[in-house]
Amino acid sequence: MKVRSAFLLLAALSAPAFAGSFAGTSAGATSGGASASSGSTSGNDKVVLQAQEDAAGFVASEGRIRGARLEAALRHLRETRPLAREASDLELAQAILAR
Amino acid sequence: MLTRAAVVLAAALLAPAASAAGWSVAQQVSGEPLHPAEAIQADLALTAAVSRLPPGWRDAPGLDVVVDWRDDLPGDVHGRAFGTHLRMRRSLLADAGEAQALQRALLHEFAHRYDHSPHGGLSRDPRLLDLAGWPQRPLRLGLRVRDNAMRDRSPDAYERTAPAEFVAVNLEYFLLDAEYACRRPALHAYFAAHFGWAPPQVDCAPELPFVEAQPEADAAPLLMLDPAQVYAVDYLLAEGNAQPMSRWGHSMLRLVICAPGRSPGPDCRLDLAHHRVLSFRAFVDDVQISSLRGLTGRYPSRLFVLPLDQVIEEYTRVELRGLQSVPLGLSPGEIATLLTQAAALHWSYDGRYYFIGNNCAVETWKLLQTGVPRLADARLRSVTPTGLLRRLARSGAADLSVLDRDDAVRNGFRFPSADAEYQALFDVARAEQPLPVTRYADWLDLAPQARTPWFDGAQLRDGAALLVLEHAARRREMLRLRDELKRQLLDPRQAAVAAPSLATLRAMLDAGDRLSRPAQLLADGYGLPQPDERSLLQHDVAARAQRLHGLRAQLEDGGRMALTPQAQARIAALEENIEVLGARLRTLHREAGGLELD
Repeated sequence: MKVRSAFLLLAALSAPAFAGSFAGTSAGATSGGASASSGSTSGNDKVVLQAQEDAAGFVASEGRIRGARLEAALRHLRETRPLAREASDLELAQAILAR
Repeated sequence: MLTRAAVVLAAALLAPAASAAGWSVAQQVSGEPLHPAEAIQADLALTAAVSRLPPGWRDAPGLDVVVDWRDDLPGDVHGRAFGTHLRMRRSLLADAGEAQALQRALLHEFAHRYDHSPHGGLSRDPRLLDLAGWPQRPLRLGLRVRDNAMRDRSPDAYERTAPAEFVAVNLEYFLLDAEYACRRPALHAYFAAHFGWAPPQVDCAPELPFVEAQPEADAAPLLMLDPAQVYAVDYLLAEGNAQPMSRWGHSMLRLVICAPGRSPGPDCRLDLAHHRVLSFRAFVDDVQISSLRGLTGRYPSRLFVLPLDQVIEEYTRVELRGLQSVPLGLSPGEIATLLTQAAALHWSYDGRYYFIGNNCAVETWKLLQTGVPRLADARLRSVTPTGLLRRLARSGAADLSVLDRDDAVRNGFRFPSADAEYQALFDVARAEQPLPVTRYADWLDLAPQARTPWFDGAQLRDGAALLVLEHAARRREMLRLRDELKRQLLDPRQAAVAAPSLATLRAMLDAGDRLSRPAQLLADGYGLPQPDERSLLQHDVAARAQRLHGLRAQLEDGGRMALTPQAQARIAALEENIEVLGARLRTLHREAGGLELD
């Protein structure tokens, strides 16, 4: 899991804490969360990469924490990979986490 | 007023134009009688103008006019209506090159005559005033604003001087411009409904263009939004927090856009990567935000189109605020008109942000009631985001019950703040290893290196919990450093060091300004950009977005260098932690024979 530049947030300099109602150059700069692996992030697999933190919460809570972004990633995997159709939610969440 | 004595009445009743007109057009001249060539030109122009009118207007009784050809109209005035009396600039008859201008001028004055008559009254119609850009004010008993803020991409600035002029100018375009339906779709629909008729128009592309002001690095910044691909629109509320500017929450609209190839339906609710958010924000064109300037309307209010993913990230993980997404139960037709109004605002609106009088809740309320006439109910008016949601629910427009459903989080009606689960996750990790503290906040406060040794003993489940917390620690550190760097940038004693970064930041703000007020990107045309303008935009917007990303990278580099060695080391240690923990989880997964995604 490679970590994108740690300084993405710096670009949000002009809108500290008010990013909701105030925009300078803020949003979009704050996506330092989920990791971007060094591999190709093109296409729809972004859905999977962005769900990595959600998958971690799901795995850690044994399924109690289950947000829409993880749900979207699970569905995406099942729609695009035959292998994923057979797998359980937990197996898929673990696989997303281990990407 | 007319000085009748000086008027040489040369009234010549025209033969009824086209079919049976319900009213007559007489002509008179103030001064020398018309030359034969002028008279022919006048008759032709009047016949042509009358033939362009909607049948209902042409046949309506009681709209008789007297057209008075004069030499004494001031400056560049082509015509003026005084009740039934239409004064027209005589010189327009002399030059065949002015035929188009004469046609416009006649239709404009006919429109005033019609609007003032009992058949018209358009310029007093609340619906027209909403569409035109004279909305009601939230706190003034429904009085309307005086100043029309639909300044950008106007066909004729004169339209903003008064509602009557707006109607006359727009009827000119409705009757003469075959692209009017595509450029001002809502107004075209309004006039077409009023007259039960519309002149021939070109076919409009179904997509509405929006420029995304803060596009992701790999996304095309020009969004071509087809309303038919939007399954639903939700009221999206960012819950308030203790920050003074965030106490009341933030109002937005979420567009549930279906992934390409998926037919609109409930399944689209999980196409999160395709969803977009409409968010009115103050555009802050300076490094430092000022409350005073916010109160006095110094900042422009702009409609931003943002990826939902970005909004979720920003609120739930960075600001630690929850989001509520409440469906508004709109029909496909209502979704289309709402998005059309949103597009009109995006390309033409240049309003000012006032913390109280014109904030996000007020803007969202105005957009909803103009875009969906069914919601045009003054009782929805609220100056707070939570108040607006309450009122939408009370009127039956929003269904709050989704928030209490068992699947509310799973299906994206709620996006809880990330910190809601941090303690529970930390307890998972504590159950497996004797961690040195009991509260997650204390864990995050430890030096990153003090946490690292515990990663080696972690198993899949508690390791995943620790990873979530490590991400949280890193985000918190980023926010802290951002504030620190901002302080440095604004510190006069550091002016020399900070100058390059400030210059970069100002360049970014300028680039962001262009993208968030996209009318600035096109020199010509009015209303929504049409195909040729869109292809111009496509390249320009992509280049500008690229430049913005470049500036951002430059600023990040500058920021990194400005940090103290300790701060740099701390960041590096946090990144290292995430790396180590990720590697550990991958190893555990492989050893357990877990499913491998390619």
